[in-house]
Amino acid sequence: MIGNDVVDLALAKVESNWQRKGYLDKLFTTKEQNLIFSSENPTIMVWILWSRKEAVYKIIRQENGLRGFYPLKIENTDYDSGIVCFNEMKFYTKAVQKGEMLHTIALKNNQFDQISELNPATKIYKKDEIPFIISNGKNHFISKSHHGRFEKMICLF
Amino acid sequence: MNKEETILKLKNIVKPYIKNQEAFDNLNENTDFINDLKINSANLVDVILDIEEAFDIVIDNASMERMLNVQSALEIIETKLAEK
Repeated sequence: MIGNDVVDLALAKVESNWQRKGYLDKLFTTKEQNLIFSSENPTIMVWILWSRKEAVYKIIRQENGLRGFYPLKIENTDYDSGIVCFNEMKFYTKAVQKGEMLHTIALKNNQFDQISELNPATKIYKKDEIPFIISNGKNHFISKSHHGRFEKMICLF
Repeated sequence: MNKEETILKLKNIVKPYIKNQEAFDNLNENTDFINDLKINSANLVDVILDIEEAFDIVIDNASMERMLNVQSALEIIETKLAEK
């Protein structure tokens, strides 16, 4: 399983005001809020942490069908290593910023070298809500995310 | 406040965040905030904060977890108002 999340940072600036009273408390644990407030660029930190949670949530949903809004249960436990935990499960994430695009990938193992980027127009199939593509007769899990001007589709080979 | 009034109030709250006008125009108890109205998940927290302010209630984390559609929002608002 694989999850990704794209944030158009310019759009996020217009759509969301993370400094709104009560906002951070609903989305981020104390540990995560400490990372935000000690960061040189708190806004970027908000979106990196959030986008990691979103990418991990996609895997959780696919594996357990646990649909819901429970951002505080998905915690960035080790920021530098990109580790995010949900219950007893551990996930690995990688966030890359290019200009105003932030793209985060989440995996259950640390094998980021098994990931390829695909053309977002590639035909997607779904089984039990889990998206995949067929390449050379084999099924491969994919994840697709879109926000504002940016869209990314990645595949686990 | 009856159900129709609550739905109307809720409709005004979600309005700034929706990305699907047709689903918004047809908003009913079965409308899903994310799948139908296409509300960005980072804005779902704004919807929740706006509901807290508009109804003067506090939405705990367990309730927030279920806050994905009009039906559960109505149930949560009703429960929290009754607790006051």
